Amino acid sequence: MTATAPGPTRRGVGRSLIRGFGELLITLGVVVLLFVVYEVYVTDLFGERKQAAATTAVDRVWAQSQETATVVAQAPQEMATDPQQRVPTYDTVLGEGFAKLRIPVLGADYVFTVVEGTEPDDLYIGPGHYSQTQLPGEQGNFAVAGHRVSKGSPFNDLGLLSSCDAIVVETRDDWFVYRVLPMAEEEAVWASTPRPHCNGVQVQTGAYTGVYGREITVPADYAQVLPVPTVLSTTVPPDAQRLITLTTCHPQFSDAERMIIHGVLVASYAKAPGYLPPELTET
Amino acid sequence: MYAWIWHHLPGPTAARLGLSFVLFLGVVALLFFVVFPWLEPYLPFDRVTTG
Repeated sequence: MTATAPGPTRRGVGRSLIRGFGELLITLGVVVLLFVVYEVYVTDLFGERKQAAATTAVDRVWAQSQETATVVAQAPQEMATDPQQRVPTYDTVLGEGFAKLRIPVLGADYVFTVVEGTEPDDLYIGPGHYSQTQLPGEQGNFAVAGHRVSKGSPFNDLGLLSSCDAIVVETRDDWFVYRVLPMAEEEAVWASTPRPHCNGVQVQTGAYTGVYGREITVPADYAQVLPVPTVLSTTVPPDAQRLITLTTCHPQFSDAERMIIHGVLVASYAKAPGYLPPELTET
Repeated sequence: MYAWIWHHLPGPTAARLGLSFVLFLGVVALLFFVVFPWLEPYLPFDRVTTG
């Protein structure tokens, strides 16, 4: 190489310092832009791969435990079960899938494998179950957290849910159908307005007064995931309802607040090969 | 900084361009796979749990 780099002595130290500072600022700007790309797109790709692996794993576990059914019932009323008789017989392992969450109004392909735990590593895989809360179908609160933007973005569209929309949870042995509770603004006219799909969905009273389908709250509001979402206690009262709670960050692209979705169990079905609950076809 | 790198890359202009691009990709990969995953938990973007 014959060319020599122009040294600072030729152009002055001040000049190269200023130029270096300018380059540094431009570089930082590019790094910030790259971080946005990473957060909004790249983590989605990573998250989808982790989610696919978790789904494969839970499918394998369920396939092993599935009984070979000789009679396949297809009428929903024949498949309906009493949730009180259904006791979870499976164990959950932190970071591993144990249930599938479907929300038909968000699309027929909206299905996520729910993993145990709400640590960042768990939530990278998919929606994560708050370990201290109840399991699907149980009395109390089946609470699940999920990312709104990034990491597969499972809960990006929770803001689109309306009252009575179905949230269907599949476990190893059961289908549990929850429906979103009435919204705060619907409370006054709830009884006087006929609504489809709203059997079993009531404006909440008693200890549950003030529990709505969607709430925006502060990050410290831990009671939202507890058995009675207005009471800061992990005790499940004997007359407790069977709720589902979904939590995500709010507003979008921020985590200053939390969006909470509450639903109540309205139906449960036995699992059988080829049987899908009728609620899955609601749009 | 960039001028210094450019002057220290070997070969003709086309080769330098190619090498620059490879260097850029390397830095991006370092950011995506090491720096950003480490940095993320400290930033107020995606905490989704209550409590």
